[in-house]
Amino acid sequence: MNVDLAHLKDIRKSFNGVEVLHGVDLTLAPGEVLALLGENGAGKSTLVKILAGDIPPTSGSITIADTELARLDVYQARQLGVRMIFQELNDAPSLSVAENIFLGQWPGSKGFVAWGDMREKAREILKRLEVDIDVDAQAGSLRVGERQILEIARALTQNAKILVLDEPTAALSNAEVERLFIVMDQLKKQGVGMIYITHRLDEVSRVADRVQVLRDGNSVLTVDAKGAQREVLVTAMLGHEALKNARPAAVTTSGNGLEIKNFSSGDDFNDVSMTINAGEVVCLFGKIGSGSSEVLESIYGLRPVTGGSVHIFGKEFKPKSPQESSSSGIGYLPADRQRLGSFASRSVAENLAVASWKAMSRLGFVDAGNEVKAFSRWSDALKISARRGPTQEIATLSGGNQQKVLLGRWFEAKVQVLLLVEPTRGVDVGARRDIYDIIRRQAKESGMAVLVATSDYEEVVLLADRALVMSRGKIVSEFTGNSVDANSLISAAS
Amino acid sequence: MSKTTEVEKDKKRSIPASAPLMAFFVGLFIYFSVASEYFFDIENFRNIAVALAVTGIVCIPGTLLMIAGQVDLSVGSAAAVSGMIMANMVNKHSIAVGLAVALVFGLTLGIINGFLVTVVGVNSLITTLGGLATLYGIALLIGNGQTVMMRNFEWLGTSQPWGVPLPVLIFTVIAIMGAVSLRKSTYGRSLYAIGSNPNAARVVGIRSNRLLFITFVLSSVGAALAGAVLCSQLSAADPNAARGLELEVITAIVLGGASLAGGRGSMFGTILGLCTIGILNNGLILLDVPTFWQRVAQGLMLIIAVSFDSLRQKLNNQRS
Ligand SMILES: Nc1ncnc2c1ncn2[C@@H]1O[C@H](COP(=O)(O)OP(=O)(O)OP(=O)(O)O)[C@@H](O)[C@H]1O
Ligand SMILES: [Mg+2]
Repeated sequence: MNVDLAHLKDIRKSFNGVEVLHGVDLTLAPGEVLALLGENGAGKSTLVKILAGDIPPTSGSITIADTELARLDVYQARQLGVRMIFQELNDAPSLSVAENIFLGQWPGSKGFVAWGDMREKAREILKRLEVDIDVDAQAGSLRVGERQILEIARALTQNAKILVLDEPTAALSNAEVERLFIVMDQLKKQGVGMIYITHRLDEVSRVADRVQVLRDGNSVLTVDAKGAQREVLVTAMLGHEALKNARPAAVTTSGNGLEIKNFSSGDDFNDVSMTINAGEVVCLFGKIGSGSSEVLESIYGLRPVTGGSVHIFGKEFKPKSPQESSSSGIGYLPADRQRLGSFASRSVAENLAVASWKAMSRLGFVDAGNEVKAFSRWSDALKISARRGPTQEIATLSGGNQQKVLLGRWFEAKVQVLLLVEPTRGVDVGARRDIYDIIRRQAKESGMAVLVATSDYEEVVLLADRALVMSRGKIVSEFTGNSVDANSLISAAS
Repeated sequence: MSKTTEVEKDKKRSIPASAPLMAFFVGLFIYFSVASEYFFDIENFRNIAVALAVTGIVCIPGTLLMIAGQVDLSVGSAAAVSGMIMANMVNKHSIAVGLAVALVFGLTLGIINGFLVTVVGVNSLITTLGGLATLYGIALLIGNGQTVMMRNFEWLGTSQPWGVPLPVLIFTVIAIMGAVSLRKSTYGRSLYAIGSNPNAARVVGIRSNRLLFITFVLSSVGAALAGAVLCSQLSAADPNAARGLELEVITAIVLGGASLAGGRGSMFGTILGLCTIGILNNGLILLDVPTFWQRVAQGLMLIIAVSFDSLRQKLNNQRS
């Protein structure tokens, strides 16, 4: 008799002859939360996709609820009670929120959907997560964080026995994350076993019972979550000790880079004013719906502006379309990398170079060699792991590595103003530090003005010269220098 | 050091996308060479090339469109209208006027298609399906449903500078320009990006509408030119001569590995697809297979090509 809910044994997996999992074991008990950690490309998503029947292992065995299976398909996995929240959004953007929550198993009978019933149930679930989302809204019109909450809501409707959460909180602020944890506590009591993948180490002790760390496709550490020290976990992930987290050294900057005055957009934000110096990095911190990412969208011309003005290095700029903004020297990294960022079927080199084609080309012709050079420049600096080199399709990279390619795109493009929304969504702790260093160094060296919208307070502390906190569409407070710290940020935002 | 060897090893392992078609082409080629004594012959190859040139001229801009995720079904009817215009103008005025008016017609049609798709926002399949029906009607109207004979305009379709038929020469020039701009120009690269993810292309600052507009114009101008070449070859303009051209074009492009969803494809693939269709038609004629069966064979080719495309997509989705 086995007490485990799930047991993966000696799992190996190769893609095109390259092995990415080298014999990994994993067990999960009822009512247990297992945190799965590891650097980008360590194999976390691949391992849990195997458990969910999404991809077959090359070798190894899978035991779920005392049934040993050599092969498992998605359908079987569902029958056995495995539910998964994938790392990338998996919704139908043109359907309503309620339809998305019940995607594929709409309540009703005889082939007819019981609409009233469905909307009622959807409302209940969203209330349980304490979010204010209209069940009739189109999913595609929501913010990335809200769509992540829909994914969570969907997993909750399905009476899981085993629930896998692959970075469900990557674009959520601590307030929303805490609500998810409360729901997870309830599920725990019902005996649901959960695997929780995250790059935010402070979440581990709050939510997990056990921690397992993967490094380069091997399981390198499994310990109790209680008393697991951050340093120990980081060292296991990276294979060496990490730098201490600390505020960056203060640098004085001057000269107006980006200036916005009385900037408004409908109900989303109101009367927002700020000035970012040339070379300065400013973080706009706020929860979902605070309006922080919307400000960036409006500056870039993706969202209508209803009032106010924008100046770029002293020149008036009227946001009209992304094309206009990009040719005026603005770069923009969207939060939704699948839909708005990456060209899935194209190579990593092309994805990285696309914003620099104009600069790289002569008489309208691009030299592919330049693209490759640009890629190697940033793949080393950002530690992008693309095993097949510059020609690998971006869709076959791990989530965090795709994000690094999109960051590299804007570092290579040498813009005057850089707008970043959740820049390190899904990026591991090690690379995160490097990315902050690069953003700061690029800003200081080229005099670029950088505005970052983020829901991660740690990011603000490690990256910002100055922090602005937004709440309900307004800037509510400002912190500079050493006054930027986690506690004041969190209390200002709530 | 170990990193580079790993990359190299993998390069060897991955099979180029056009390999299955290449194998099929070579197999077909060998089969016809053995089965028919007339097949493997320089004169026959020249015939195949001439027969392909008209379709080929339309295939090049067609590939650009398909890579950007668009399709132009109006090319066959556009070629027919262009032929009717040519014949009337050549008979009444001169060759120069005929060519000029036909090309202006192509330009205008391209602007209309481009406008409807990029400004009004009608789906390109629907827009150009409408064009297909309307223009066929116009071609019939111009000639009153009859074939129009014409004189003294054979050079475009039948002359052979340096021993190469002029249509083949025109096709070759267009194909080289198309291939180079697709691979190396920002324009071509942007088309891949637009086809791969139109939203991301917009966000990264690519002027998608402008580029698509240009490509629709190229497609219609290509069709007009093809219509002129065709009627010169026949010494007559027949409203039905180019019927089904759009299907042949799409078959060649999809066979060559372009995805109907956009973002994938190459000029080399399209040309290989075109050659496959060419030797299939030619071989079947040489083997005395009734012409009706050629139609069946072409239809089957299209279905097989499209199935290949969706199978490939399915496999890719599963692997990621
Ligand atoms: N379809 C695929 N084809 C080729 N390689 C793949 C494919 N899917 C994943 N890989 C490779 O497998 C390795 C592990 O990827 P995986 O997505 O499991 O990483 P991860 O630990 O989830 O990383 P992240 O934290 O960035 O999400 C990576 O090197 C990735 O490039
Ligand atoms: Mg992952």
